Amino acid sequence: LESCGHIRISAPIVHVGNPVTASCTISQNCSHLDPKPQILWKLEDEAKQPGDRQQRLPDGTLESTITLPHFNHTRAFLFCFLQWANSPQVLDQAELRAGYPPTAPSNLSCFMNLTINSLTCLWEPGPETHLPTSYILKSFKSRMNCRSQEDPVVDCVPEEGQSYCSIPRKHLILYQNMVIWVQAENALGTSASPQLCLDPMDVVKLEPPTLWGMKPSPDVAPPPMGCLWLGWEPWKPSLFMDQKCELRHRPLLGGASWETGLPSSMHTYELCRLLPATAYALQMRCIRSPLPGHWSPWSPSLELKTTT
Amino acid sequence: LVPASSLTPPLSRSFLLKSLEQVRKIQAKGSALQEQLCDLYKLCHPEELALLGHSLGIPRAPLSSCSQQALQLTGCLSQLQDGLLLYQGLLQALVGISPELAPALDMLQMDVSNFATTVQQQMEDLGVTPVLQPTQGTMPTFTSAFQRRAGGVLAASYLQSFLEQAYRALRYLTQ
Repeated sequence: LESCGHIRISAPIVHVGNPVTASCTISQNCSHLDPKPQILWKLEDEAKQPGDRQQRLPDGTLESTITLPHFNHTRAFLFCFLQWANSPQVLDQAELRAGYPPTAPSNLSCFMNLTINSLTCLWEPGPETHLPTSYILKSFKSRMNCRSQEDPVVDCVPEEGQSYCSIPRKHLILYQNMVIWVQAENALGTSASPQLCLDPMDVVKLEPPTLWGMKPSPDVAPPPMGCLWLGWEPWKPSLFMDQKCELRHRPLLGGASWETGLPSSMHTYELCRLLPATAYALQMRCIRSPLPGHWSPWSPSLELKTTT
Repeated sequence: LVPASSLTPPLSRSFLLKSLEQVRKIQAKGSALQEQLCDLYKLCHPEELALLGHSLGIPRAPLSSCSQQALQLTGCLSQLQDGLLLYQGLLQALVGISPELAPALDMLQMDVSNFATTVQQQMEDLGVTPVLQPTQGTMPTFTSAFQRRAGGVLAASYLQSFLEQAYRALRYLTQ
């Protein structure tokens, strides 16, 4: 028995709340199975209802049309029934979807990871669209002020459902500006985030330096009271960068607040005028300087006790 | 000595700081490659490969216009970019040296290429016509794995001393 009925819909995907018009045509051989054939419609679990209009077409097929004025589901099945021997028979089913065009992705930010040598950008996709929506990180190489457009960079397509993407090193020209933005697209439209103009090296994300305790220098005996000595080294992959670092310290007990200072550029440091015989927590962070960069996170706490 | 400040037009501080950083970045990668070549093939002394280097025709890029005694800015930038393009080509000729070295070689090549772009852009900003292809002779061809490894040791070594010279010139220009 060749298929009896077929649904056609005005658009498989509409904006939430917009109308949807459907028609169901029943072939002649099926529509003659009943003296007074009636086509009925059903949306999801709602009650069956006749169409707005049912007519016999010149070629003998029977057609019913229906308009759903405000389609408020985001996803629903529309069924076409034919009453046959007092029993409603499903002849066809169509999937209707509704949603929203994507809003412009926001809060785009990028950082260069020196460990995996890639530029990772993340963004906020914006409100749910209820539709399959693709996000692509697009970029092109540029010059000083990003007003000129040079070679395009390969699109960076994130994994399904993720709002970040990493551009591999081979697609980057370090120390040159590039323009980056996110494009969102679904069946109802496209949108684009504001563009960023950046040199990947200016958004390097440093890891914290390494700290370790040291003994007081033997030439100063006895060591002064209320002092401690530490050694530190910037994060190894960033050793080629000029950096400045911040050291903060506070007594372990008593919930005191941090005191912050700038250690010398030497990688050993004497910290004095502290409470004697007291355990201190010390942390350090670094930033590329004088060239632009991001502060690293604070290092894990190093606990040292001051001299008595 | 040619006072750096007398050089017109002056180079931008950002260019100088970025270039110094790029040199250090490449030197770090170059050292890592040299260490790997030494570990993997016990080829640890480039000076022992000088004769082979000569016979293979492995070029060395000059930086005579960058010496403090005869610093000539546009000439120096041209030689710098020319040399970087030369070493980029030389590193390219080493592709296939070994799977273990391929990642380090790729990264080094990209960093050298990016530095050449930085210099090229600075030259264009100064209105100096950048070099598009290295003016040195053609690249050497390696007919054995040993020659390619030795070529790698020499290329890395020549690149390091080239960068050392460049670093001194750039430091001088920042004063």
